[in-house]
Formats: sequence, C-alpha cells, structure tokens
Amino acid sequence: MTVKPSDFPPPFRAAEFVAAPTDPEDERIEVGVLVVGAGPAGLACAIRLGQLLEGAPRIAERLGDVPIAVLEKGKSPGSHLLSGAVVDPRGLRRLFRGRKALEEMPFYGPVEHESVYFLTPRGAMRIPTPPTMRNKHNYVASLSELGRWLAGEAEAGGATVLPETAAEQLLVEGGRVRGVRTGDKGRGRESQELANFEPGADIVARVTVLAEGTQGHLTGVALSHFGLSGENPQVWALGVKEVWKVARPLDRVIHTMGWPLRAGARFREFGGSFIYPMGGDMVTVGLVVGLDYRDTELSVHDLLQELKTHRLVRRILEGGERVAWGAKTIPEGGFVAVPERLHAPGLLIAGDGAGLVNVPALKGIHYAIESGALAADAVFRSLQPGEAPGRAGALASYDDAIKQSFIWSDLKRVRNMRQAFGRGFYLGGMLAGAMTASRGAFPPGNAKTERDADHALLRTDRSKSYPTPDGKLTFDKLSSVYLSGNRSRDDAPDHLRLQRRVPRELAEMWARMCPAHVYEVGEGDGEVTVEVTPSNCVQCGAITAKGGRLTPPEGGSGPEYRLT
Amino acid sequence: MSILVFLEHHGNALEKGALGALSKAATLDSEVAGVVVGEGVRGLAAGAGEFGAARVYVADDPALAAPLPQPRVDVLARLVTEKSFDTVLLAGSVLAADVAGGLAARLDAGLNWDLVDVLSEGGAIVGKRPALGDSVYVDVGWTAEPRIALLRSGAFEPRAGGGQAEVEEVSVELEEFSTGARMLEQAHEESEGPSIEDADVIVAGGRGLGQPENFALVEELAKALGGAVAATRAVVDAGWYPYASQVGQTGKTISPKLYVGCGISGAIQHKVGMQSSGVIVAINKDPNAPIFDFCDLGVVGDLHAIVPKLTELVLARRAA
Repeated sequence: MTVKPSDFPPPFRAAEFVAAPTDPEDERIEVGVLVVGAGPAGLACAIRLGQLLEGAPRIAERLGDVPIAVLEKGKSPGSHLLSGAVVDPRGLRRLFRGRKALEEMPFYGPVEHESVYFLTPRGAMRIPTPPTMRNKHNYVASLSELGRWLAGEAEAGGATVLPETAAEQLLVEGGRVRGVRTGDKGRGRESQELANFEPGADIVARVTVLAEGTQGHLTGVALSHFGLSGENPQVWALGVKEVWKVARPLDRVIHTMGWPLRAGARFREFGGSFIYPMGGDMVTVGLVVGLDYRDTELSVHDLLQELKTHRLVRRILEGGERVAWGAKTIPEGGFVAVPERLHAPGLLIAGDGAGLVNVPALKGIHYAIESGALAADAVFRSLQPGEAPGRAGALASYDDAIKQSFIWSDLKRVRNMRQAFGRGFYLGGMLAGAMTASRGAFPPGNAKTERDADHALLRTDRSKSYPTPDGKLTFDKLSSVYLSGNRSRDDAPDHLRLQRRVPRELAEMWARMCPAHVYEVGEGDGEVTVEVTPSNCVQCGAITAKGGRLTPPEGGSGPEYRLT
Repeated sequence: MSILVFLEHHGNALEKGALGALSKAATLDSEVAGVVVGEGVRGLAAGAGEFGAARVYVADDPALAAPLPQPRVDVLARLVTEKSFDTVLLAGSVLAADVAGGLAARLDAGLNWDLVDVLSEGGAIVGKRPALGDSVYVDVGWTAEPRIALLRSGAFEPRAGGGQAEVEEVSVELEEFSTGARMLEQAHEESEGPSIEDADVIVAGGRGLGQPENFALVEELAKALGGAVAATRAVVDAGWYPYASQVGQTGKTISPKLYVGCGISGAIQHKVGMQSSGVIVAINKDPNAPIFDFCDLGVVGDLHAIVPKLTELVLARRAA
C-alpha cells in the first residue's frame, strides 16, 4: 500500500484563527498601520511608509501615537531570518533612493567570481553558469544581519518594532481585516495558565500587511478565509545551512548540482548546494531540497553533512569551526502559485508569504523588499482623504503595481522551470535551457503543480550513506539545534498540528525530514505513535508542506539566528 | 582597582556562588570588599574574610528582610558612590540579576552579564562571555567606571584560605520608590537530600533507563553515594521525573565533584549543564554515545546489570 502524507491531514481549521476583536474597545492596542513580520518585506514596508509619512504630516497625525507597528515573533528582528544569501541590490537601491549607500549596509562584499559544479560522489565537474544564476553585481549577506539593520532603519524612520510577539489570529469584522490578536504567553503544556501568564491582545489598525515569510501562519489563514489562492498550490523546498569560521578565505561563490541528490525522475529530488564567502574568515554552506521528494529516509540535514565530506567542500572547511546552523523552507511554486489576489479589505500580503521567489535564480529577498515597498505605496494611497482602506478594492492598486514591477516580469519568464525538474534532473535541465533561451515563451501555457504532500512515499536505504557525526566536520541534529540558539521552554503548549497515529512510513519520513529532531517514531509496525518534542522546533515550516501544520509558538521562542 | 562583591545570603549562610565571586575577585590584584544586605546578617559578615574580602560592609535593617532587589540597589549604589568602587561583581542568581540591572540603570554604568571568567589586564578588567550558543568565547570590556559584572551561576568555586575581614556597618537609607514592593510569600520546593546544585555527588538518569520505574536504580545509587538525582530533558519531557531535577540548557547547571550518568547519551543540551563536573562517569550501552568523548571514565555496558552491582559495592565499602 502506498502512503501519501496528504491522506493524513492535520487537525487544523483556518476558521480557528479568524475572529472578531474580543477585547473591550478601550483595551485594544490601536496602531495606524500594522505589519506582521520583521523580515525584508515587512521592514521595507515600514521604511517606505516612514518616508511617505515624513512628507505627509497630516496623514501621519491621523494614524495616532503609533503610526507604524511591526510585530516579530522571534526574540529580536533577525532571530528567525535565514537565507543563502546572495542579494540582488535592486530592491534596496529603490527602497532607499540614495538615502543610504550600499556601502552602509551589512554586506560581505560583491560577488567577484562564481563557479557551478556538477558533483558525483568523488568528482566535481565545472559547468558553465546557467544564465539565470549569474551573480555579477550582487552582494553576499547574512539575511539575519540585514534584517537587524533594516529594523534599525525602520525604527529611525518612526516605526515601532514589537519583538517576541506572535500574531495568532486574524481579526475580521464586517468582512474587513481589523488587525491581529497576539498569542498568549506563559501557558503550560496542557494550556493551563502559569504564574507568569500574560494574555494576548487585540491590535487593531487601519491596514494590516502580512509579511510573515515562508509558511506564514496568518497568510495561510487569510488565503483560505478570503479565497485568494491561485490556480496552483504553493510548494516548498527545505534549506539547511551552516556558517563556518575557516582557515583560508574563499574567493568565489559556488553552487553545486547533482550528488548527493539522485537524478532519477521517480525520486523527485530537486535541489543543490551553495557555498558563499562571508568576508575573509567565514564561509556559509547550505543545501536546498524540494519538499516534493518521496524517500522516507531523506534528511536534508544529513545530506548536508554528507555533502561536506565531498573533497570540494571538505577542502574549504578543513581546519575550520562551525559557528552557526539553521533551517528554513523556501516557497518554490513561483509565478503559477502566486495567490490570485494579494489584497483583501484592510489587508495586504507581501514577500515570501505571497510566494515571490525566483527559483532558477535562487533569489527572493529583492522581491520581498520591492513588494513591501509597493505595499506601503498602496497603503499610503488608501489613507488619503476621501479614501478608506477597509473599502473593498481600496488596496487593489497593490496588485496592479506588483504586475507592473520587475518582480512579475522576472517570475513570468521562469514560470515553468521548477515544475520541469519534477521530471528528473536531465529532462528538467534541458527544458529549463529551452525556457531560458525563449525567455519563458516555450513551452507555452502554465505547468500544473501538485502539492508536496500529494506524492506517495517510497523507501530506499539512502540513510546508510549518511556520515556518523564526528563533531568536527559533521554534526548530529541535536547539537545543531543547540547552535541555532534555540532555548525554548520545554513546558510550553505544543504548537505543531499533525496526526499522532500514522503508518510507520509517514512517521519515519517526518522524523528524517525534520532538521531539528522534533519527531520520533514510536514502537511497533503498521501504525505507530509519533513522539513530538516541540521545544526543539526551529520553525522551518517543512511539516506544513509535508502533511502537518506549523502554528506560531509563544512569542520569543524558537531559534535565535545571528549569522544565517 | 577596588572591587565590591555582592554577598547574597540564604537563611544563615552566604551563597556558594557569592563566595566563589569573592574568591575570584581576590585573584585580581585589587582591594576587595563584600557587602551583606538583609536583616540580622551581622554574623555572616566576618566569614567572608576567609574567601578573600579585606572588608565587609553590612547593611542590616528590618526593611531589608525580604529579598527584594530595589532596596539592595539603594544600598549598593550609595556604597559604590561614597567609597568610589570602580567594579562591582555579582554572582548570577534571580535576585542578583535584578540588582545588577537596577544598579546599572541607577549609576548609568555598563553591565556585562553571563561572564564565565574575569581577568585583569594592565589595570583594565576583561570579561569572558560565551556567545553563539556557547560555541565561542568573546572578550568584553567596559568603556567607563564603575563596571558592573554579573557572573554565570556556578562559574567560580569558593576558595578558603584568606584572612580576617574588617566589618563595617553602613547606614541604610532607602529611596521612597524602592519600598513599594512587598514580599507576600516565599515558597520553597520540598525535596529530600541535597539540592542538585549543591550536591557533591550527582547520579543522573536518561532515556537509556528504558522505563520510569528504572529510576529506582539511579535513586539507590545516589543514596548509597550520599548524592542527589538528576535527569535529562528527554525523561523529564516524558514525565518520568520532575522538572526540578532537569539538568542542561533549559534546566539547571550543576558542578558536582562526581557525576555518574546512567543511560545518558550526552547530547549538547545536557552537556552544557554538567560539563564542569569534577569527575564524569558514564554508563551507556552505545559505544558511539557523545558522552564517551568527554567523560573521565566510560563504561560500555548494560546499566541494568552494572548500576545495582555498583550500588551493592558502594554500600559494602561504606559498611566496612
């Protein structure tokens, strides 16, 4: 019997997370514009709004004491940000319009040289850099550091950043979004109130901008509540990365394809690795694998460990020391999976939550920044005298602006590439070449996407080749979670929704998939119990793609990334 | 340099951590004084001389009976200003963290916290602080005086061997805004035997025990050795043992003279809570368990056979 994760749907209903405000009116926290998520999209939105309000004091005044508020579930801005990252500076240049130079931003310098390799277990064949992957004029950065810096700029521009605050419910009244309700703090495992219990609060605003990133909790809720989804479902990849202090500087950006992933179409293993220099003494190395994979034994964390034993990678890391680790999903559905609409009355969706990622170029940060800024423009227009952001269609100019921006033309050009790789590496690679040559005209039409959880599981013995962690070059999951800075309370309520009695294959797939050792397989054959340790969770979101659902845990918990 | 060490007490004894901070201060080539704050605490002051204090200030007043931070900030702020101390050391605890923060705000002083070492380098004081999940140590300093340093709990052992301390009473004047809080209740967790932070011997149990009933093996060995029982997160999570016994990243930090781990793999989350133990003994059937990389004595074998035998031998030796 074949097992599909989607046959075991999580106990989750979007309606649980939609509510009318319940706090008495004088106890609600009133802000002007509410941004959910202090990532590149949300902070760009706050920064642009600050610039616009600077020139419009009367509108700013009407927005009250807190004209712009940014909620962040992590300990501080940047705590939950993780990316490669090679950043295309277009978005930042347009956001700051000369007010800040690139030299003032926390970059590790422009990309000088780059190489792409096709790996075999023992070999590395240099191949020409595919046109979509060329990185000249782009900059290496840690997104966590960039986020911290952007948060400072947003605050300097008049925004209030509220860290350690999870947005748990979408407040909807009379068909329009009124704001969000934040999560309770200080509840015990059985949800009981502990001595330090603090109830969440209703935060109401003229407009709410969801910039929650990949697997946005309220973004998912809003898409389903307002029926905004597009014709294709979103799909994701899981990336696991490490930052190393190294003995010798790396002089170029490296990408690899092939090993340790398998080319056979039936495995559906799409992905590759990246190795980027971070200044003179640090290097980041990561592996990204599409979550439409089928093998129950596939573990992106362990594949990354295996990758590091390859001669090409080992040479770079040898004598070095691992200083950071983290994991995160990436929306990979591209153009065809972008929601039908990115606005609803009183609501806008920006960045990764909207699926604005260019998979063949391995980039999305500049789209997040551009979409955040365009969201701010639309919000500002809706705040003009005589206009009301809660009116249906008042924010529609945002969708128009996205469609006229470089985001849309870029994504359209590469729209069918990710799907092509579902047909295996070689055929996919040829199709991708044809798509690039025709600038997206061939093949005509839009490819269909299946959900990641819809692919039947299969089992191989690939875990046999995972290296035994030596604590120097290769590491186990628990010591990695430790390095992520995660020190979540052990007695907090469980925030992971998934069926707990499932076929053994599915439990094993979850246990291997999770880079943070959250799931363990109980005893027995046939149906088993899934043991869950929620405090290990680094909120990467893979479980949502593969048949479960991540909801936001208590604000301030989870990883505390700094260099990722 | 002149250093003031906050001497926290509990009941009728100075805290071990505070005495450790005092001993550390005594190695820094400077004048070292301590301060005891509370009610009926005069008798505690003289004992600090043995751990390196040349002088101990005593602030003894009924208003200081409850262990509340703000009145202590008043006492320390006044002392630092009047006696021109350039450095204040506090050993990490819930109360000390509150006092350190309050004092930094009151004196507009710099505070470095979670320090695992303090060194004197050419007249300047340099602190060592773990960063990036304890994977690296960074040097931290202060740009101005007074410097306030909050040390990691259990970072320094008290070292006896000093001399006599001069005891000096100081007058207690509290700010009005510092007396607003009242202590309503102080609750203590009931437990038998020594607490795991103070015990010289710890026997710890992990998932390798197999089932909760097998904690009896651990308890019997701990009893035979006169020690306390600790547990890993996994078994506390599974409900086998109370949270108060949890050692590690999200539990307690211990540094007994002898640590015996039974069925414990030694994941980093546990290791950071016990790695400063004196002698580490590990009993585990998995030869690849990480604990064998940092234990002093490792036994690869079945703990269900080894632990009862060990208990028996310890009891026999004790009886002899």
